[in-house]
Amino acid sequence: MWLPNWPILRLQRSGAASAEQPVVTVASERGQRRLACVCPLAAEAGLRVGQALAEARALCPALDVHEAVPEEDAAALGRLAEWATRFTPLAAADPPEGLWLDIAGCAHLHGGEDALCAAIARRLGETGFPARLAVADASGAAWALARCAGGGTRVVAPGGERAALEDLPVGLLRLDDRAVAALRRVGIRRIGALAGLPRAEVAARFGALPALRLEQAFGTAEEPIAWPMPARPWQEARRFAEPIAAPEDLMRALALLAEALGARLEGQSQGARRFVARFLRVDGGVPAIGIATARPVRDAAYVLKLLAAKLETVDPGFGVEAVTLEAQALGSLAGAQAALDGRAEAGADLAATLDTLIARLGEDALWRPSPLGSHVPERAVGRAPPLTAVAWPAQLPDRPLRLFTPPEPIEATAAVPDDPPLLFRWRGRLHRVRAAAGPERIAAEWWRRTPDATRPAHDFIRDYYRVEDQQGGRFWVFRVGLVGVPRWFLHGVFG
Amino acid sequence: MPPALAACLPGGVLPLGVLHEMEPEAGAEVQHGAVVAGFAARLLARLPDSQQGGGKPWLWLAGRGDLYPPGLLALGLDPGRLVLACGRDDAAVLAAMEAGLRGGGFGAVVGEAGRLTRLAARRLQLACLRHGTTGLLLHRWPYGRPAGAGDETPSAVTRWRIGVAPSGEGGAPRWRLALLHARGGVPGEWLVEAGERDATDPVRVVAELADPAAAAQRRRLG
Repeated sequence: MWLPNWPILRLQRSGAASAEQPVVTVASERGQRRLACVCPLAAEAGLRVGQALAEARALCPALDVHEAVPEEDAAALGRLAEWATRFTPLAAADPPEGLWLDIAGCAHLHGGEDALCAAIARRLGETGFPARLAVADASGAAWALARCAGGGTRVVAPGGERAALEDLPVGLLRLDDRAVAALRRVGIRRIGALAGLPRAEVAARFGALPALRLEQAFGTAEEPIAWPMPARPWQEARRFAEPIAAPEDLMRALALLAEALGARLEGQSQGARRFVARFLRVDGGVPAIGIATARPVRDAAYVLKLLAAKLETVDPGFGVEAVTLEAQALGSLAGAQAALDGRAEAGADLAATLDTLIARLGEDALWRPSPLGSHVPERAVGRAPPLTAVAWPAQLPDRPLRLFTPPEPIEATAAVPDDPPLLFRWRGRLHRVRAAAGPERIAAEWWRRTPDATRPAHDFIRDYYRVEDQQGGRFWVFRVGLVGVPRWFLHGVFG
Repeated sequence: MPPALAACLPGGVLPLGVLHEMEPEAGAEVQHGAVVAGFAARLLARLPDSQQGGGKPWLWLAGRGDLYPPGLLALGLDPGRLVLACGRDDAAVLAAMEAGLRGGGFGAVVGEAGRLTRLAARRLQLACLRHGTTGLLLHRWPYGRPAGAGDETPSAVTRWRIGVAPSGEGGAPRWRLALLHARGGVPGEWLVEAGERDATDPVRVVAELADPAAAAQRRRLG
């Protein structure tokens, strides 16, 4: 991708340079102030790169002159490359005026290479950066085609680089001025002419660069592009010269990884609530063990203790050639200071015990009940993380101690349809009702329910009774169906 | 503890920092154990530690998640102080209970499990002693009581049996409460009734049920 006059565009975009006047940037070159970059308006006025500033001012009095700052241009280009990672994960700055985008394998996500280029050009154009793009298998070809005079977006089919570059000037091969001048002296102006010469003679006469650039343009030579590294993941890995299998060795490897990861986390005042250790076996299997904690931790010994409890589930097979340890669910963790008497802060042993329990039972198996604003019994209780403080109201309607989900159907007999039952059969046992209280009417929350024509509205209304049988067992039963034959359910048992 | 119960317990109080067992009497109670859980909750809410606000949380471990926290509120127990946990089976619950007792940080640990082997009970008892955490083991057999369950030599400091009883005049729920075993105490059986929500005793004794052997033992001791 080529962004012509990037330094000036950048200045105009930031508002430092005017958009109506001719703009140039100048750099000091051998004691002389010379133009480094010229905007299209200034070019129309006859200015060109390399001209002395005094001469330029004479040609165009209304010139807006700025100092060239190549470092800032490169940094801004780097930020633009970061922006371009929305199109492809591999985007690198190509100072002074270009970007490399490796769109292999991601063009189809945007509807093909043409559509992707159009999208990028449109997005850049909207922001005020007219960009020229070219797509080719070879980096050199893409570079040359983006900058060739034709303009617009060029997409070269695989293998078509040579034909596309045939008529372009050799200057587009990213050669230095001396090489271009030397080629020109012997009458080589087009890339096609250069390509027709024997490679060894070109290298001997003009140096290694033209031959290399030619091969890079035709895709026969690799070009190293410095893709910016993604943020370093919170992972540590260790590879072994010889596969290891003994549990003690695995433990030692985990200890080293936990130390390294803990040190990195400490440097950022971070802790993690989840750690995953993966064991890369020689046969390709990757058994993994994971631990979760109630609050962020990074202490290597502590993480190791929890991991050790699960290490026995790992089958090393014929040997493990690498071990990785990854920290997930990061949270800030400031350094804790021990109390004066050397004891850890209060609550630390609770968190430690919870971690042991989580390691044993699983992360979802521990929770603190929290009240939810719903009068439907099944929805009145939520699950909060075990270390959060939860406040319950002081008074709630009388509720059973055991609640069965879903409610269990019972056969019940009542004197009249809207009376509490006289007797009911639950789990094969007959219960004669001695006393009853109720009803408490609870209707389903209509705002949660999708209307269903096959079930009448009164199907979602429950009449609850607290009943006591002859033995003294106390139950929470409800009736559904105000019209027709009522159905009875047992929802809970009181303690 | 009401005086009638206190007379049977060693030192006249429920020992803390040790393991207590509770089991249901018969019927469907064996499967759902609601009454046992209710007694445990009443007891838990009145443990000395919980009298001052902001005490340590309690851990309640179960094999199945049918404990309904709003139901605890009526028994005087704040559900916000509970940490609930679910284990796959009895073995997982007992192992987690031991880990909870051994690690410290909890005011008390309640576990619902079926069969308790002598070794497991001994381990739980030692774990209780380590941090002085009270452990309550509630017996519950979702598929019915297996033959011979509950006949083992007792390993816990006390073992209680709770069964339902028809409620009294005012409609207050009543239970048959039996102290089957108490280390350093004597067994007994009572008809008890739910007290006020904020009463200091978990239950009120209505009547002492006739148990000639236990009565004779008490007379001999006392």
